[in-house]
Amino acid sequence: MADRHVLRRSWSVCPVCLTTVPAERVRIGSEVYLCKTCEQHGDFKTVIWRGCLDFDAWVGEEPLPLQHPRCPGGCGLCRDHLRSTCCVILNVTDRCNLNCRFCFSDRSHNSTDPSISELTRSLEALIDRGKTLIQLSGGEPTVRDDLPAIIRAARTNGARYVQLNTNGIRLSGNRDYVRELAEAGLSFVFMQFDGTDDEVFRQLRGRPLLDIKKQAIETCAGFNIGVTLVPTLVRGINDRQIGDILAFATAHSPAVRGVHFQPVAFFGRIPRTPVDADRITLDELMSEIRIQTGGRIREEHLLPSCCDHPLCGFHGDFVIDRDAMIPLLRRGTSPGRCPDPAAAEKNREFVARRWLRTELQQGGAGECCTDIHDMEYFVKKVRENGFTVTAMAFQDAGNLDVTRLRRCSLHVFDNGRFVPFCSYYLSGWSHENAPRRH
Amino acid sequence: MSDPKKLICHRCNRELELRKVDFSYLGHTFYTDLPCCPECGLVHISEELVRNRIAEVEMQLEDK
Repeated sequence: MADRHVLRRSWSVCPVCLTTVPAERVRIGSEVYLCKTCEQHGDFKTVIWRGCLDFDAWVGEEPLPLQHPRCPGGCGLCRDHLRSTCCVILNVTDRCNLNCRFCFSDRSHNSTDPSISELTRSLEALIDRGKTLIQLSGGEPTVRDDLPAIIRAARTNGARYVQLNTNGIRLSGNRDYVRELAEAGLSFVFMQFDGTDDEVFRQLRGRPLLDIKKQAIETCAGFNIGVTLVPTLVRGINDRQIGDILAFATAHSPAVRGVHFQPVAFFGRIPRTPVDADRITLDELMSEIRIQTGGRIREEHLLPSCCDHPLCGFHGDFVIDRDAMIPLLRRGTSPGRCPDPAAAEKNREFVARRWLRTELQQGGAGECCTDIHDMEYFVKKVRENGFTVTAMAFQDAGNLDVTRLRRCSLHVFDNGRFVPFCSYYLSGWSHENAPRRH
Repeated sequence: MSDPKKLICHRCNRELELRKVDFSYLGHTFYTDLPCCPECGLVHISEELVRNRIAEVEMQLEDK
């Protein structure tokens, strides 16, 4: 039997009743688990690392655990929270034009949307003029005909960047609508994109969508709106398409600005209670990226999140130059900045720099030098064809770790409060236990 | 260079000539043409280049 070694004590929740309970990160063999016990519902153990990379080196130093955390119950930002807001999500509707197998926002499709005046009040309250990166989300935000007015209101109130989180259906081929969004001040699009064949979309989204996605990218490109592809990775459905998705994305640079992988988390609408085999850990994802890209992207090119907890995500920064994919960051070479109280602001500018398309990217006339080591050419290419490979591993009732939650910089704005994303959407697993909603 | 003024090396008293100069930062190497002394190799880097191009290269290569 493998040795059992406690790496750290923390806090989590019982996946059934969501009561805050003590938890331990435990190394068993080469894997790391989050282990916890609820007095009422028993023992729970969830894999959080599979040993593809050195866990301790990746996580680095962490502050001491809290003695009596209030997290995640009644979460809003409190004095124990360690990060300011990098990106803030504003849900503009619960309605959707899909019915996906997995959906963190498992809301009623018949609910009433907040009015534009209600949303404007929220925007006034949440925006830090000249700084805020706001994500308009849902539901599917494009079901609202007045989305351009919402974007305009965000801009008028001083939002620095406005991001649209969408499945892309309404954008696809709809030039008039995308023009309106662009003219209203939309900065960039995060588009659900789970695979490179329709079988993946049938299984995850209930219908074939590949052509629609391709057309949405093209339509956005027509108005200089950068698109970042967002695959939800589900074991057995699209975890073998990581390389294909990256190849598709790089072939569509500069219209496509990057890929943002989200290993599936088990909150909201899920088909069944997960087992460890269902989970794709961050280290496993990095390893698969290397394998499935034939080594074009390697683990050393991907750095742990500073803005959030290292177990919550990674980022890689590249330049696409014809067929080459040149890594700009290298773990061990690029200076680490953690812990940095300004991490959220730095991260916001970093991602926006890549996800925005600039005017320069409209044409490709008159290149006198095409050597990436030429300083002028490098600056031009990195602006035009900068490309990010990022991931965010959301937490659910199985693997929620208060140590991670305290470093969350992705916040949902609701009812006057900024709530860490994974706390906001946290839901219990048993059918008797209704999902907790703020 | 946009500056039409002649640049003279103060040590060798030779006029600087445009030559390819390498820069290294965080494991990456770039080159650009800059005025160099043909005698001692002294390189003149203008404030404009530092504030614009070099600063941008640094920003693009640095992690968030």
